[in-house]
Amino acid sequence: MKSVFALATITYKEGIRNRSLFGIALLALFLFGFNITVAGFFMRDVGKVTVDMNLSALSFAGLLLVFFVGVNLMAKDIDRKTIHLVLSKPISRAQYIWGKYLGIQFFISVSLLLLFVFSCLTVGLLLNLYPNYFIGFSWTNFFIACFFVLVKFSVLAAIVVFFSSITSSSLITLIFSISSYVVGITIEEVVFYLRSEFSAQEKIISESLQTFIDIVSYMIPNFAVFDFTLEAAHGLVITSQRIFLSFGYGAIYISILLMLASLIFSRREFN
Amino acid sequence: MRRLLPILMLLVTIIVYGFLFQGVWESRELVRAKTPVGYTIPSKFSRILALGNQGVLSDFLFLKIATFIGGKSGSGELLNEEDWQFVAQSLDAVIDLDPFFVDPYMLAEGLLAWDAGKPEEANQLLIKGMKYRTWDWRLPFFTGFNYFYFLKDYETASGFIMQASQLPGSPAYLATLGARLAYYGGKSKTALLFLQQMLADTDDVMMKKRLQKRLQALESAVVIEEALEKFKIQEGRLPKELSELVSSGYLVMLPSDPYGGKWGILKNGRVFSTSKFANAPQENPKIKQTPSK
Repeated sequence: MKSVFALATITYKEGIRNRSLFGIALLALFLFGFNITVAGFFMRDVGKVTVDMNLSALSFAGLLLVFFVGVNLMAKDIDRKTIHLVLSKPISRAQYIWGKYLGIQFFISVSLLLLFVFSCLTVGLLLNLYPNYFIGFSWTNFFIACFFVLVKFSVLAAIVVFFSSITSSSLITLIFSISSYVVGITIEEVVFYLRSEFSAQEKIISESLQTFIDIVSYMIPNFAVFDFTLEAAHGLVITSQRIFLSFGYGAIYISILLMLASLIFSRREFN
Repeated sequence: MRRLLPILMLLVTIIVYGFLFQGVWESRELVRAKTPVGYTIPSKFSRILALGNQGVLSDFLFLKIATFIGGKSGSGELLNEEDWQFVAQSLDAVIDLDPFFVDPYMLAEGLLAWDAGKPEEANQLLIKGMKYRTWDWRLPFFTGFNYFYFLKDYETASGFIMQASQLPGSPAYLATLGARLAYYGGKSKTALLFLQQMLADTDDVMMKKRLQKRLQALESAVVIEEALEKFKIQEGRLPKELSELVSSGYLVMLPSDPYGGKWGILKNGRVFSTSKFANAPQENPKIKQTPSK
């Protein structure tokens, strides 16, 4: 356990030192500033626009963090062959995977937490500027939505770790992870669209296509599960059941991926 | 000289760039003015293309509509049928992306119903929104208003107004208003009550101006109607012309119509104005403010 944490700490430090972090933070800060300017263009629902833009900015920053820094952290060892050095230490391959994941997770959490503080400042400022146009707004909902942005990227980080355990280059990992993200974020719309459209017109969708989509929806995480933007933007009720379901779904999916990654990584040969 | 040459070349290219820059932007302006408005990606696809950012996409699309209309009215151009089609479709897409977003409903009411003369389209969007914003009394109120004011369907209107009156935060008089609508549907006074509410609920400067003008016109109509009522009770008949109200002392003078029309009276005793309370009646053939002969 100790070695897992040691590895996690090293990974985290490596991530925090990455220069692209500044770029991502600057971009997020720009988006928050942009939000303050744009909010005044709307007639009524300034609160909704603010929440939308803040959550999207956080999401976008998280996405860049995982894809630019996370992928690098995971794949650098294999790319630069420093993995031989690490694995010569008394650490099992499964421990290596979990250590790396925890490090990335910790890195994403700390970075997002920082951006979250700025996001809260933006929302607070706009709340003070336009108090009459934040009617449905609730901080609790906003916090829940922000927390689930983090959960979403924890799942994505697990996907990155999984793909780097089977591929030999960081580019392939990046491409696979981006594809998984795009599929994961759209799969729900596609499934429901097909369900409603085809059942409404009583058309028969080809069986193989239906099976394919079913299989994909099992394999790829449904990222829409972690999306609480609508609820946060309009102050709608979020049931505790939904929070538990979403959180449990994410946690279990991460565990499965990491266990699979450990299994594959243990059998892998490096040259 | 050798050192200066690259700097000189750079300067020359920068100057050329400056000319080109202006030319490019001017030509883009011409190109944009000529291109047809645009095409709204159906919400079925944009929901997927948004990659989880449906909220922000709805905000962006909404801004696009607002700037489109603002740009047109800024240059004094009237929107044609195609433009309004685009606005209606885009608003529909915005609502599909985020059905709880209140701004598109307000724009639908303010523009589609009032400016475009498409109260049916506005009602479609408002009724769609009622499924989601179940607590918001303004949506059924506006729908009822459109049925009452533009479509002259008083029964349906009173149903929506009653529905609005039962929602939290709705003004207290809505219940009685809804009940009276069915009886006094055609009277200007009912419209006056509606307009006063619309005015109290509007922040938009353009909309406010428009409403105030209409309110003024209706107030004039109410003054004439009240004098007419007195005339009818005392004389037992309707005047042949409205000027009779002035000559027999029921009115000091005929109030002016801010739209520049002339007042008249129908055989059934209804007061109307030749302006039909519209700035450009030929642009809005569907709007009939007063029943015509």
